[in-house]
Amino acid sequence: MRAPRWLTSHRRWLAICLAAAIVVWPLGYFWASSLLPSSYSVTDMGYPDYGGGSRGGDQQGEMAGMAGMHRMPGMPSTPEMSSVSRSVETLTVGTDRPADVLVTLTARKQVFTLAGGRSVDGYTLNGTSPGPEIRALQGQLLEVRLINESVPDGITVHWHGLDVPNADDGVAGVTQNSVPVGGEFVYRFLLSQAGTYWYHSHQVSHEQVVGGLLGALVISPAAPAAAAADPGAVVDEIALAHIYDGRRTINGRDDDVPIQAPPGARVRVRIINTDNGAMLAWVAGAPFTLVAVDGTDLNEPGRLTDRAVQVTAGGRADLEIVQPADGSIVRVVLGGSNSLLLGSGGAPAGPVPAVGAAPEILDPLSYGAPAPLGLNPDAPDRSFDYSIGRRPGFVGGVPGLWWTINGHLFPDVPMFVVADGDVVRMRISNDSGEVHPMHLHGHHAVVVSRNGVPATGSPWWVDSLTVADGESYDIAFRADNPGIWMDHCHNLPHATQGLVAHLMYEGVTEPFLVGADTGNQPE
Amino acid sequence: MRSTYRVLAYLIAAEVVIQASAIAYAVFGLTKYIDDGAVVDKATQETGETFEGVVGFIVHGINGSTVIPAIALVLLVVSFFARIPGGVRWAGALVALVVLQVTLGMFAHGLPLLGALHGINALAVFAVAVVAGRRARSGPMRAASTTSTADRAVV
Repeated sequence: MRAPRWLTSHRRWLAICLAAAIVVWPLGYFWASSLLPSSYSVTDMGYPDYGGGSRGGDQQGEMAGMAGMHRMPGMPSTPEMSSVSRSVETLTVGTDRPADVLVTLTARKQVFTLAGGRSVDGYTLNGTSPGPEIRALQGQLLEVRLINESVPDGITVHWHGLDVPNADDGVAGVTQNSVPVGGEFVYRFLLSQAGTYWYHSHQVSHEQVVGGLLGALVISPAAPAAAAADPGAVVDEIALAHIYDGRRTINGRDDDVPIQAPPGARVRVRIINTDNGAMLAWVAGAPFTLVAVDGTDLNEPGRLTDRAVQVTAGGRADLEIVQPADGSIVRVVLGGSNSLLLGSGGAPAGPVPAVGAAPEILDPLSYGAPAPLGLNPDAPDRSFDYSIGRRPGFVGGVPGLWWTINGHLFPDVPMFVVADGDVVRMRISNDSGEVHPMHLHGHHAVVVSRNGVPATGSPWWVDSLTVADGESYDIAFRADNPGIWMDHCHNLPHATQGLVAHLMYEGVTEPFLVGADTGNQPE
Repeated sequence: MRSTYRVLAYLIAAEVVIQASAIAYAVFGLTKYIDDGAVVDKATQETGETFEGVVGFIVHGINGSTVIPAIALVLLVVSFFARIPGGVRWAGALVALVVLQVTLGMFAHGLPLLGALHGINALAVFAVAVVAGRRARSGPMRAASTTSTADRAVV
């Protein structure tokens, strides 16, 4: 086939240049428009999504003008809102009463030795990683003084799962500035929720959390009924799972952790998954009960045998085991790699149960018995979609296959706007090809349905929810904690890849900035 | 332009070799890791630096999702300038096969059997890349003399 004559003439070059321009110009445009300002407010990101609710008067015009952040690079956010507007900084505990529990956390970047003896180059709090276990009672006021001794990128502490006042949420560039070397920051909040929680840095978190800047936080009921009746019969253990240098540890140990538990004792194992992916937990040698998820007790949970519990990345699961009367050993398997061995005395009584294969995964959607939710998910004030996808494009000038939220690439993502007191319903759907553990700050949401199948079990309140590829969850929560809250994937590298949105209350202003020039990099 | 076309086409063939090598390294590293008593679950998988060979997964992923598609697109652009008989069509075929390959790779995470096709299609990418490179191998005169038969084969 001979080339047509016109192709051999100068018109050929014209056509080629035109074709190249048609390809290159949009590519250049998309590249340029994906570049992030060196400093910006998260409230200037993307576009507002009011979820069918009020548009908050003047705020509407203000927000609409901000749509498409690339049009206003580097502008600090100073929206002129109505007289009710409050800065994030003012959203504190609101009491000067002295703290009941005082903790000082000193952060260092260093080589350290795990409890199990392995040496790790990472981050410590008070010289250890995991950091100190913080235990307190419900209703107490906790005050934590965070000191950065030697973490060059700066640090913060986020109280994962605790619905603290916004100013204490510990997200760099959103609720505070990161604490530089030599600096400090004081967190003060009331411990209103009993349960299992954890804390971790939310500055360069994909590195600092992986490197060990984290710890467990457990709040016990002020007067635990069962313990009061028979305190000797209750064993309460934290099992914080964290992978250091590719190997899972439980409370810093590589090997199985022996736990003293006499025959007949009720053992509560508080499992905390601090890693970037889900972990299965199951029990060999005795039945067990899943008594709490993400710090919230389940209603009338049933006894389980041959079931595994999936602990979401960032999530918690409390298992209760009644020790066999014959004194035999019970194995609580965590991820198949590590175990707690529950037994009494120095000498093992009988054989240690094998790890075995992971049994079928428990579906919390139909586990336990229903109970009042305290809100009506069928009459929400706002309804949002948080639809996760993936497509080629540019984020921060870098080409790649990036996560999308409602079809948009970071930072052109929705800002979910709510008003104080709203009942909010959100559909989180995932067609991105990978699983995403979604974490909403400052609130607990109840699972209403999955893939259209309504929840029929105990109210399943979560702060961290595994949304597998092809799944769709309807969740509901009451917007009762004003502020600006991250709503992001807790597979932390995914957050750096743009799977981050925010929930913003009407009338709340953002004094902090993120970006390369600000020292604040929450992901 | 002709040599650019040739280099890019062979580069894609070389990338297929790297892809095969990387994924084999990773899989053997993974099985050794498990043989040594370690356990892989979602949490460990998402941690990255777990075992010798894990870099193979990372290389395979970045190469396959970004680098190879980019080279294929550049090859397609270059093919319009290179005046290689059938060069545009071979470059276009290569782009199509690479798109198919990336798609298979993505969806195989949900349907592992697609991974088998992913492995077979890799050989198609390799073969077409080599053919495209060979077409740009020699001078214009000789290439022109082979044009008619090759084009018939394509059409």
